[in-house]
Amino acid sequence: MPEPTQPPLLEVRDFGLEFRTRSGTVRALEGVNLRLRKGEIVGLVGESGSGKSVLSYAMLGISDRAARVTGGAALFGGLDLLRADEGTLADLRGREISMIFQSPRTALNPIRPVGLQIEDVLRRHAAARGPDLGRSLKAHAVQALREVAIADPERRAHAYPFEMSGGMCQRVMIALALACRPSLLIADEPTTGLDVTTQAAVMDLITELARERQMATLFITHDLALAADHCDRIVVMHAGHAVESAPSRKLFASARHPYTAQLVSSTPGERSALADLAPVPGQLPDLRRTDLPRCRFAERCERASQRCRTERPVLDAAATHGVACWHPLGEPLPTATASCEVAHG
Amino acid sequence: MAEALLRVERLLKTFPVAGRRGARLHAVDDIDFTIAPGESLGLVGESGCGKSTLVRLIARLLDAGDGRIVFDGTDLAALPAAQFARRPERARIQMVFQDATDSLNPRFTARDTIAEPFKLLARMGRAAIEPRVQEVARQVGLPTELLSRFPHQLSGGQKARVGIARALAVQPQLLILDEPTAALDVSVQAVVLQLLDRLRRELGLAVLFVSHDLNVVRLLTDRVAVMYLGKLVEVGPSEAVFRAPRHPYTQALVSAIPGQGPRIKLGGEITSPIDPPTHACRFHGRCPRGEDRCGREAPALVTFSAGHSAACHFVGQPPVPRAAELRS
Amino acid sequence: MTTTAAPSIAAPADPAAQGSTLGHVRHVLSENPVTLLAAGLFVAFVVMALVGPWLVPYDPLASNASRALEPPSAAHWFGTDALGRDIFSRVVVATRLDLGIAFAAVAMSFVIGMPLGLAAGFLGGWWDRIVSRLADTVMAFPLFVLAMGIVAALGNTVGNIILATAIINLPFYIRVARAEANVRRNAGWVEAARLAGNGNVRIVAMHLFPNALPPAMVQVSLNMGWAILNAAGLSFIGLGVRPPTPEWGILVAEGAQFIVSGEWWVSLFPGLVLMLAVFTFNLLGDALRDIFDPRRRT
Repeated sequence: MPEPTQPPLLEVRDFGLEFRTRSGTVRALEGVNLRLRKGEIVGLVGESGSGKSVLSYAMLGISDRAARVTGGAALFGGLDLLRADEGTLADLRGREISMIFQSPRTALNPIRPVGLQIEDVLRRHAAARGPDLGRSLKAHAVQALREVAIADPERRAHAYPFEMSGGMCQRVMIALALACRPSLLIADEPTTGLDVTTQAAVMDLITELARERQMATLFITHDLALAADHCDRIVVMHAGHAVESAPSRKLFASARHPYTAQLVSSTPGERSALADLAPVPGQLPDLRRTDLPRCRFAERCERASQRCRTERPVLDAAATHGVACWHPLGEPLPTATASCEVAHG
Repeated sequence: MAEALLRVERLLKTFPVAGRRGARLHAVDDIDFTIAPGESLGLVGESGCGKSTLVRLIARLLDAGDGRIVFDGTDLAALPAAQFARRPERARIQMVFQDATDSLNPRFTARDTIAEPFKLLARMGRAAIEPRVQEVARQVGLPTELLSRFPHQLSGGQKARVGIARALAVQPQLLILDEPTAALDVSVQAVVLQLLDRLRRELGLAVLFVSHDLNVVRLLTDRVAVMYLGKLVEVGPSEAVFRAPRHPYTQALVSAIPGQGPRIKLGGEITSPIDPPTHACRFHGRCPRGEDRCGREAPALVTFSAGHSAACHFVGQPPVPRAAELRS
Repeated sequence: MTTTAAPSIAAPADPAAQGSTLGHVRHVLSENPVTLLAAGLFVAFVVMALVGPWLVPYDPLASNASRALEPPSAAHWFGTDALGRDIFSRVVVATRLDLGIAFAAVAMSFVIGMPLGLAAGFLGGWWDRIVSRLADTVMAFPLFVLAMGIVAALGNTVGNIILATAIINLPFYIRVARAEANVRRNAGWVEAARLAGNGNVRIVAMHLFPNALPPAMVQVSLNMGWAILNAAGLSFIGLGVRPPTPEWGILVAEGAQFIVSGEWWVSLFPGLVLMLAVFTFNLLGDALRDIFDPRRRT
């Protein structure tokens, strides 16, 4: 576990992003605060449409062309990723910041053997190769495959992605991402579509390597239980806002944001009965609306008050357990005299 | 004890392997199980275990190589799949697909999709169909204004409801659910699962629930069958199988669920379903508990307590007649 | 996700942009000015074809030797040809024949080619082999030469021009339909259709066909342009329509010999109108596809 006094490796401050589309401007992200320390594994959890993938793509500078940053900064070791030029970002990608994608087979080049793909990355960032023992690129690639527990790596290096199973392709992608020993790894739903046992093995691999190399990891998923199992901390996103940030166990045991609490209770666990599953009421708000309440959960929240509609609650990324809510769970609701009006989704 | 609604006996399906003459891929290998009327049976297994094939055999989308599928007295396996669409039995077994988006014709409105079984299977006229479509839409919680929409104008949860409405339209007796919530967000998933459970109880449906999400299967099923490489390795009451799994594979599966504590690691990759050895346990090689006997003798499905059986040499109790005869 | 980080918002519950086919057509047309232009031209051509012959100032067949080869003027907008006939009237009247031939040929290709292609793509096996070989055989020839051969062999009638044009366009429809059917034969909704009681024929006709329509529509419109050119080309070389029947190709042929001697208008105007017609149909292709594709309805 990282020391709390260390400065964060990645600091996202008040980050806003929008997409200009034919049907309107989608305010995909607003005021997102996030911190990641060296060696910390953070889970970024949210439903589809919450903006979690958009956030990571924006940081790496690979957003869709219709994306526009509306404010804030993403500081990585002093450099603002959002304002860096393409050349600087290209140097960083793969060497200092790496990403693993959702569909392993489609993220790999289908007409190139996997060993060569790893060599490509190594060649691009020649200066940052690991302990340089004078070995050839090929040997380094084979070593990278060995480190992700692929059996018989010398032979597998010549294989094409279509010859490998989903789980193995994912391991290759991890090898690709970690070949140059980056200090930050972003894993975007790396286990969706994989079987439960493969999923467990891949997650174990990622977390093991992360701890070994003191690599900060941002693990993006919609599976709250999976995040809780493998991450030190979880940040919950809703409709483009970061709404809660807490150590995993604490989040599950005592969530403070109403959305988090409902997410937790709609996740089937070991002891739940079907009737216990309480789905989150309402739907994600349409982010093209110009009349959105300032707290975007207000329309689905039982605890909402007038303040929630007019003032946006901000997440304190520095706090151990931060929450972006005016009436978090555990605190009493405002009384009638304090201009409260309960909204129903 | 009621007469079984569905009884599957020695079901077999193999596929030719491209490029290797004579080799066959054993997708479903000599499987037996039963489903009683109104009972919910879960089918669990990982990709490549053959559960998709098994489900398509039962739904008569595929022809079996051997074996019987006895549904309410009639052997459906004897009826060719290509002509099954016009038979009266078609209406009695229906299926909800995994990917709701993929299972809806992009050029049909929700109404067209739901009306089709009424038109083709119940042979109803247009005037009679509309009120029924509305009724079934209400049953699944789909607002009737959405019936005129195309799939790309509906949300994930709404598309799932359309798929369910279509399956339930002509009141089947057996409903096969093929990972119905896999593509949905967790909050929508909860809603759909509760809906499915309510409908099952209200309509007295028998359900075959296929999923890889063990937590979800446990919530919705009375019994569960675990499949590995074309064979059933464990069958029993859901609670019992999850609480105290007896087969090493089931144990590994259950331990892999997030939050279950120490994980049992399985070595190597899944063995190939092409020409598997007939005189060895198929799990041998990945099993944390393998011994010589496992490589020489294939274990039979053995019952060791009421309705709970497993195919492993180390289950520990004296062998009893095949579990297919017994039901919970 | 197909594009990097395009927002995956749950499809909005947006009742505003629903509605009628007419509303949708209007929306498609207004989206793109080029589409609107193409639609306008298309309507103009159709009107010309339908009512042109009654509105023309001169009888297209009436020759007047004293007014031969006169340049364009207020009396004769496109000038006159070697026999003193008004070129403008001839061009307008030719519209009906040219459009008619093209439309009939394309319709025939579509009606025969689509079902063949869908069956080949969906059923595979022998169906696929036979139909594909048929298409390959047609495509093995330079298409215009094949059309020439067919018309020469069967005789110089309008009917044979239509037949020849239909045959050489058949492979395009077969290919489009086959590709669409092939891609979708394993789609979930095809399996679901079986569960709902659809046999193979119904699946091809009611389920696959509507899905193959959008790309087929683009083919239809491109084909129309090509069919017009084909008919004109055949007439230009003397096969097909016989003079004095006005037809754009014949008009161009009649004027070809006068270009060198300076009477440029005899060929030019028919040529321009021909070009405009083909251009219109090419532009219309995209609009037609959008009209037929429900996914554009948002």
